[in-house]
Amino acid sequence: MDQSTSTFGLAPVSDAAPLSSPAAARGPLVMEAVSLSKNFRIDRHTVLSAVREASFNLYRSAVVALVGESGSGKSTVAKLLAGQEQASSGTIRLDGRVVDVRGRRAFRRYKSEVQYVFQDPFASLNPVHTVRYHLERPTRLHQARRGEALQTELVALMEQVRLTPAEPFLAKYPHELSGGQRQRVAVARALAARPSVLLADEPVSMLDVSIRLELLNVLDELRRQLQLAVLYITHDIASARYFADEVLVMYAGDIVERGPAEEVTQQPAHPYTQLLVSSAPDPDDLGSVLHHGKEKGAQGGVEGAASIAACRFHPRCPFATEQCRTKRPPLLRIGPSRAAACWRLDAAAPAVVAGARERGDEVRET
Amino acid sequence: MSTQPGAQTPTPPGAASGTGSASTATPVLDIADFSVAYRTAGGDVHAVDHVNLALHPGEVIGLAGESGSGKSTLAYGACRLLRPPAVIRGGSVRYQGRRFPRPVEVLEQDPEGLRALRWREIAIVFQSAMNALNPVLNVRTQLLDVIEEHLRLSKEEAVERVNSLIDLVSIPRSRLKSYPHELSGGMRQRVMIAMALATDPEIVIMDEPTTALDVVVQRDILAQIVELKKQLGFAILFITHDLSLLLELADRVAVMYAGRLVEVGTARQIHHESAHPYTKGLLNSFPSLRGPRRELAGIPGSPPDLRNLPPGCPFLARCAYGTEACREIDMDLAPVASASDPRHVTACPFVLPETPLPAGGVGRRDAVAAGAPAREERRDPAAGIPIAGLAAPGTAGPVGTTGPLPVGPKANGVHPAPGVGPLGVPHDVATDQGAEQ
Repeated sequence: MDQSTSTFGLAPVSDAAPLSSPAAARGPLVMEAVSLSKNFRIDRHTVLSAVREASFNLYRSAVVALVGESGSGKSTVAKLLAGQEQASSGTIRLDGRVVDVRGRRAFRRYKSEVQYVFQDPFASLNPVHTVRYHLERPTRLHQARRGEALQTELVALMEQVRLTPAEPFLAKYPHELSGGQRQRVAVARALAARPSVLLADEPVSMLDVSIRLELLNVLDELRRQLQLAVLYITHDIASARYFADEVLVMYAGDIVERGPAEEVTQQPAHPYTQLLVSSAPDPDDLGSVLHHGKEKGAQGGVEGAASIAACRFHPRCPFATEQCRTKRPPLLRIGPSRAAACWRLDAAAPAVVAGARERGDEVRET
Repeated sequence: MSTQPGAQTPTPPGAASGTGSASTATPVLDIADFSVAYRTAGGDVHAVDHVNLALHPGEVIGLAGESGSGKSTLAYGACRLLRPPAVIRGGSVRYQGRRFPRPVEVLEQDPEGLRALRWREIAIVFQSAMNALNPVLNVRTQLLDVIEEHLRLSKEEAVERVNSLIDLVSIPRSRLKSYPHELSGGMRQRVMIAMALATDPEIVIMDEPTTALDVVVQRDILAQIVELKKQLGFAILFITHDLSLLLELADRVAVMYAGRLVEVGTARQIHHESAHPYTKGLLNSFPSLRGPRRELAGIPGSPPDLRNLPPGCPFLARCAYGTEACREIDMDLAPVASASDPRHVTACPFVLPETPLPAGGVGRRDAVAAGAPAREERRDPAAGIPIAGLAAPGTAGPVGTTGPLPVGPKANGVHPAPGVGPLGVPHDVATDQGAEQ
C-alpha cells in the first residue's frame, strides 16, 4: 500500500497479518466472520451498505462486544450470524466449516449451535403461552427430550438463569413476570438448544439500571459454566467495559476500532470511540453537560454518513481533512490486538500512536 | 410555602444550594403529603405514598427509581393527568408562578382551571416521542395546534413562534413539513421538547425523555435542555431510572422506592454521601466508564407488592443492612445525622453515608435465589480489578467484617427510631454478611 506516509508508520491489518484477539485466551475458536458485508437495496438507484467487510472471531467462554449507535449496523451483523439474513459477500465459519443455512434442516442444525436473545423481552415472548411452553418447544426440537428427561431439563434451564423455584415460574405467563424475569426466560429459551454461540442483541437496554447488572451477571456465569461464546451487542460502552473481553466499535457499517475492552474504553483512539466515551453519563464530572455545552459539531445520528469512498465519520469528525472525504481508511494496527481505522490517528490519539510506534517491530511481526 | 410541621420537606428558605439554583424563592410547585392509589380488585395499590417535594424556580430535580416505584404516577398525579382507577388519596399540590403570583391548589381546580395550568404553566415531555406525536399530522401542524390552543396569537405570530421554536431545538425549518415517522428518534424527541416549550411554561416535566436514545444523541439532547433552561428559566422535574444521568444533570435528586421518597439531596450529596441503602445500591449498579473498575453488585430481587406493603421499610426484603428494627420505622424523611446540610434527608435512620457497604453489595443475595454458586475471579491479575460482584469469596470488596460501624443517628437524637436499643443492629448484620461471603 502506498499509504506509508499517511499512516504514520502503522501497518494496516490484512489477511496476511491478522490481528490477534484478546478473547482468544479464554477458549477455542468457534465462529469466524470473514469480511462480511450486507447491502440493502432501497430503490433502483440507492443501495445502503449496512455492514462493510466486518471480520472478527468468537471464542468459547469469551465475550465480544459490538458497540455503536442505532443504525450503525450492529444488529445486522447479529442477524447475519444468526442466519436470518444472507450476507451480500463474505463468509461465516462455524467450527471451521463454512455456514450454509439454505434448507430447513441445515437451518435447524445451525440454530442448535447459534442462538439469539432479543432486545425487548416484552415483545419476544408470546403473551398467550406459559414459560413452560416457551422452553418446552426448543428443548423438544433441538434435544429431542420427552417426559421425565424433558422436565429435568426445564428445571435445569430455569436454575441456570436463576429463576427458582422453577415449578411456579414455569406455570406463569409473561405478563406475570417483571422485565428482568422475562429476559431471563428469553435467555433460558436460547439455552434450551444447548448452543455454543449466544448472540445477545441489546439484552439489557430495556431493563432498569438496577436489574441490568443482575442479568449481565447471569450471562457471565453462563458464559463460564457452559463455555458459551457470546456476542454482546450494545450501545452502552460502559457495560462493554465490564462484561466483554474484546470490544468492536461500529460506525455506519464499518468496524472503526477494536481491541481489548479496557484499552478501548480507557484510551479510545478513533474519534468516534472518543465521542462515544465522552457521551456516556459521568457522575464524577458533575454538571459537565451544563459546563461543556454541546460537542463541537459532533451531532448525534448516522444520517449524515458519507459516501462509500470516504471515512463515514468525517462529517462529524473534528479532525477531518480532504483525505478523509475521498478515501476510506484501513484498519491500522495500534497494538498486538488493537486497531483503528482513521487517517488522523496521529492527531486524534497521539499517545496511542506513539506507543504503537515504539513497539513497532513487535507489532509488525505478530 | 406552608409545609405543615412534621412534614418531611426540609427546604428552609435561605439555605443556599450546593450546585444549583434552588434559591430563596418560594417553590413553583409544592407537593405535600401527596398520595395516589390505583384501585384494583385485589386491593389498593399505593403507588405514591405521602410524598413531599418542592420544586423551585429554575431548579432541576431528578426523580430516580426503578419501574413501578411511582415516579411517573407522582408527576402525572401532581398535574391531575391520571384517570381511574387512579385516585388521589390526599395531600396538596400548590402551584405558583409569574402568571400566578398567588398559589393555586392544583388538586382543587375545576376543568377550566386545569386547562389554564396544563401546558401553559406545566408542560410534559413524554417518554415515547413516537407515540406522543400524531402520526398523521406534520410537525408544523402539531406545533401550531398547541400554540393556537393555549396562546392568543395572530396567525402570523403563531407561525413566527413555530419557526423560532424549531430553531430553538436546532432542527432545520425544512423539517417542519415532515411527519413523525420521517424523523430520527433524536429529532422526534426534540420536536416533543419544542412542543413543551411552545407556551413558555414555568415547569417542564420530563419523563425519561432520552431512555430510548443512544448515548451520543442523549448527550446532545441533554445539553440542549440545559441550554434552553438557561435561556428560558423554567424548572425541570426529570424522571429517569438512570441515576448516573441525574447526578450530572440535576441540582437535587429525589430517590423513590415503592411509592415513597427514600432520600433527597443535592447531586453531590447523593453521589458521594448517599445515606439510604437503596440509593447506595442504585449507585453500585451501573458500570462506570472512567476511573478504576469498581466492584458492582446491583440490587437483586424486585420491588414489593404495593397492595399490601409490610409495615416499616419497604426495602427491607432486599436490604443487606436490614434488621428487625426496620419493621417499625415510619419512613419519614429526616436529615442525615452526620450531614452538615439539613436538607440532605433520608428515610433510613440506621445507615449513614459513611456506613461501609456490606461485602457483596447492598442487595441480599437470598433475595433472588438461595445458594447461587460462588463466583470465580473474572479477570486475570494483569487485567486488574475484578468485575461486577464476581470477586472470589473473601478477596475483594469493601470491608464489612471488621471494625465497628458508625453508630446510627439515634445516638444523637436526630432521628429517633422506635424500638431500637443503642448500638445499631446493622453492625451485626453487616458482620454476618461479611462472614457469609
